[in-house]
Amino acid sequence: MPSYRSLFAAAWMGIQHDLAWTTPAASLLLGVVAPFASVMTTSIIYWFGASHGTSGFDPSHLAYVLVGAALYAHIAAYAWVPTTAIAEGKNLAVFPHIYLTSRSTALYLAGRALSAFATSVVTSLLALCFAFYAVGLFMHTGVPLVVNPGTLTLLGLAFLVNIPGALGLGYLLGAYSLYASKFEWSLPGYVAGLLMVFSGALFPPSILPWPVSAGAAALPFTFFITAARDAIIYGNMSDYALSLTYCAIGGVLMLVVFLRVYLSAEKRARRDGVLDRRLA
Amino acid sequence: METRPWLRTMKARALVRLWSIFGEPLWVVVNMGFPVLSALAMSLLYISIGAQSYVGFAILGGVMISFWANVLWSMASNFNWDKQEGLFDVYLTSSGSLTALLIGMSVGGIVATVPSAAIVTAMGWALFHPVVSASWPAVVVTFALTLAALYALGMTLSSLYLVYGREAENLNNVIQEPVSMVSGMYFPSIGPFSPFPFAIQVGASLIPLTIGMDALRKSLFYGQGIAAVWLDLFVLADLAVAFLIASSVALRALEKKGRADGTISVRIR
Repeated sequence: MPSYRSLFAAAWMGIQHDLAWTTPAASLLLGVVAPFASVMTTSIIYWFGASHGTSGFDPSHLAYVLVGAALYAHIAAYAWVPTTAIAEGKNLAVFPHIYLTSRSTALYLAGRALSAFATSVVTSLLALCFAFYAVGLFMHTGVPLVVNPGTLTLLGLAFLVNIPGALGLGYLLGAYSLYASKFEWSLPGYVAGLLMVFSGALFPPSILPWPVSAGAAALPFTFFITAARDAIIYGNMSDYALSLTYCAIGGVLMLVVFLRVYLSAEKRARRDGVLDRRLA
Repeated sequence: METRPWLRTMKARALVRLWSIFGEPLWVVVNMGFPVLSALAMSLLYISIGAQSYVGFAILGGVMISFWANVLWSMASNFNWDKQEGLFDVYLTSSGSLTALLIGMSVGGIVATVPSAAIVTAMGWALFHPVVSASWPAVVVTFALTLAALYALGMTLSSLYLVYGREAENLNNVIQEPVSMVSGMYFPSIGPFSPFPFAIQVGASLIPLTIGMDALRKSLFYGQGIAAVWLDLFVLADLAVAFLIASSVALRALEKKGRADGTISVRIR
């Protein structure tokens, strides 16, 4: 029970951190702006490139790009939160207080990541909705998304199944941040960029050279985005179930391995006395 | 105003920025991460939809996003970080001009971002062989004027961010992507191929990146010379001067207000 209380307290702190810098509604709406712009940018690239390229414009491919862009932004938005929680926490002297408590900081990071997950689900879905209408407005085309209570439930399930993988990635980055005191601020950019290239968000991983394509296709995030597309674009239930199963297995594996990495890094960082080191 | 102390202040701030990057070569690797990966992703997106001939747009976007990110994170919000570190108090109590500091920061920032931009260019060139048909004098002049206008915008934002506390970081996060979108970092956002209505195109043209990217695409990929892009160059020069004046006025006004309110060097708000 006390673990749940710690987790809840950390999650609540994350919500306060993310939303209380201005009014909650305003910060939530402002949080939609970046993923919306990101989704629009990739959609416009598709519209422009396909209209002037050899393949021709296909609304279902536009839906493919639109959904992929919204979801990679969602993963990126909460996978790097443990990094920020440590880096910012060291800078503002919050993190040393967390590690002085009797709990592992891993619990604190999980709470922060879960709160960011909740915020990010809302902002990325709103971004997807706004982009859906904006694309119709600017490009004069419909986007063939299958939106009904059933497909939305499947999408919601995919969001939940993706949590272990994203949290695992967060722990790996967090393990680095325990020791870093300069470069960790650039990790969000790297995470977003890597997800853009390797998670099948904007194009199929098969266009990457082998063995990179094989590695990208095996990532739980790639399966998550594929499952979400199966749910709300193609309505293909058997492929959805298969992708989600692979996403769950890969995600749990990532979480177990990277949590162990984080815990040993934390133990070593305590021993080396770097947990409150602000500057290199 | 004496010019020598002003120039020395500017040079000193530029050198600090250069030392901070080149004194730790790993920073170059760190800074190039997002521009390289986003240029790679957008190039692959163009290729995946059979639009290989537009890959150059994606690489140019990756180059310019390095500078845009530098303007936002190392110019606009820098005074806020300086306040947190206690460095801003030193600036205030010194006799150096804050405008000279900002210009020094800009010059240092431009030079420090060049390696990252060069790596994006080299990577794009090696992997995708974009088709270039350049009018080099026009490319050089456009690039220089775009950077001048862009960093002048950074100076203005820096002045405005002086009044903000932790909101500065959130504001950066809010404006980074939309500006990349409307300024057409990876596709034409103004002119006949733009997806945006005319009103949005006019608004977007107030951002130096929009005009700069448009003129760079015309001169780099379609061989248009200075005579063809003179209007873009004229607008960029105007924007550079306007933002320089705006930053100077804003800096003085907000410095005065901050001193009067006693909030100018409050570290964390």
